[in-house]
Amino acid sequence: MRKLNILFVCGAGLGSSFACQMAAEDVLNRLGVCQCNLDHGDISSAASAKPDIIITAQNFQSQFEKFSIDPSQTTIVYLKNIVSKQEIEEKITPVLKEKGVLA
Amino acid sequence: MGVINFIIQNILTQASVTIALIAMLGLILQKKSIGQVISGSLKTMLGFMVLSAGSSIIVSSLTYFGEIFTKGFHMQGIVPSIEAINGQAMNELGLGRDIALTFLAIFIFNILIARFTKWKYIFLTGQAILWMATMTTVFGYFAGLRGAILIIVGGLIGGIFAVAMPAIAQPFVRKITGMDEIALGHFCTIGYVFEAGVSKLFGEKGEKKKSIEDLKLPTQLEFLQDTYLSVMVVMVPLYVITAAFAGEEFASSLSGNTNYLMYAFLQSIQFVVGVYVLLSGVRLLLGEIVPAFRGIAMRLVPNAKPALDCPVLFPYSPNAVIIGFITTTIGSIIAMFVLPVFGLAMILPGMLTAFFAGGTAGIFGNLTGGRRGAIIGGIFHGFFITLLPALLVTIFNSMGFVNATATDIDTVTVALLYAWIIGPLLKVF
Repeated sequence: MRKLNILFVCGAGLGSSFACQMAAEDVLNRLGVCQCNLDHGDISSAASAKPDIIITAQNFQSQFEKFSIDPSQTTIVYLKNIVSKQEIEEKITPVLKEKGVLA
Repeated sequence: MGVINFIIQNILTQASVTIALIAMLGLILQKKSIGQVISGSLKTMLGFMVLSAGSSIIVSSLTYFGEIFTKGFHMQGIVPSIEAINGQAMNELGLGRDIALTFLAIFIFNILIARFTKWKYIFLTGQAILWMATMTTVFGYFAGLRGAILIIVGGLIGGIFAVAMPAIAQPFVRKITGMDEIALGHFCTIGYVFEAGVSKLFGEKGEKKKSIEDLKLPTQLEFLQDTYLSVMVVMVPLYVITAAFAGEEFASSLSGNTNYLMYAFLQSIQFVVGVYVLLSGVRLLLGEIVPAFRGIAMRLVPNAKPALDCPVLFPYSPNAVIIGFITTTIGSIIAMFVLPVFGLAMILPGMLTAFFAGGTAGIFGNLTGGRRGAIIGGIFHGFFITLLPALLVTIFNSMGFVNATATDIDTVTVALLYAWIIGPLLKVF
């Protein structure tokens, strides 16, 4: 089965996106979803990365809306608290089901 | 003996190897598979080499900028960039191995302090620890420390800061996020608390206090959240105007066949390229080490509280971030003109720190003093975070750094601690 690519995005692609990635990794492990490639990066290069899911903070929403990201290919998830496992789980579960990696 | 000497002299002196071995240790302690251990260690090493490449790009651009600035304005213009300081210390000054080992020592001291005191903070912002390790190593070296002592003292001081800074920020963070699960791990904390204090003093009080989040900011400002773009917005005019002041004749002698203004424009972008490459290197470098540290620390320290990078707070107060960025930049521009009057070096606005530190400081200022507090506090914050690095310039110059000084005010405080207290004490004994 194809692996799902998930990209975590913040301004510089260093700190908070990475923290978010580590929190999400715990969530995915608990959900039993292992077939994912997780990576983090900066917003400038996020538009061209074409992952299956982009997870980023709410404050970047207006900028992502200006990018031309194909919604059928990439689903964007916005978080208020980017390290809250509860919020990540709530918002990512329907996306994972839609992408067919979670029953 | 021959083999051991060979290992010590030829392998462990290579900073890239040292840091890869630290990552390898972390991966082995987590009982990863052999494949993961090898790929993780190699990726860490790759990250270090990418970081070095970024550093040489920055240095070449800064060298050019230093020449046109001196010619144009008859004084030295200093670019505040902890990335440039780290790169130069790692490569040109050959302190890379000591920095890598101090980095590890800070992790260890952080775990020990969190384990045995009531402050359960685990500092997970890897690049901030790298900057801290850089400053303790550079200034410890300057104070006369060498070898194991240099690393242990640096690790201890860094470890104390890694716990103390999240601890003093926590009362504010609790109010900003409305919870106590996460802490702020970013070595600009003294500046945040400074802004919170100024804002409390001059800001709106009681009933009149209005949060900046109730305002609607113009959407054109939102691009500023794109870090590298906002650095470019400042570096381009800075280089081009400086080249114009340096004059066609002089600037053309540096630009070869390219028009001198075009060349300045390209060099300014080149500076951002250097920062981008360097930070990509840091990203690769930390990709394996930080999760390993997190895993180990969380197991050893019950009820550990992760201290995370400052943008974690940004979604809670996005307007304050923009206002904090703008006011901190204004404050640092004021300081740029005022400090030379008092005989200090001219420090140019450092955009990376103005954004991250300024933005976070804006959240603190808005919290304690509302709109007016955030604006006045931000200007003071900008002045403050420019003043302290200015005090380090002569030391950096004497050690051979090219046109740069540090940012991240907690690391600057540590540097001053070494320069003003530890160094003189060592000379007495």
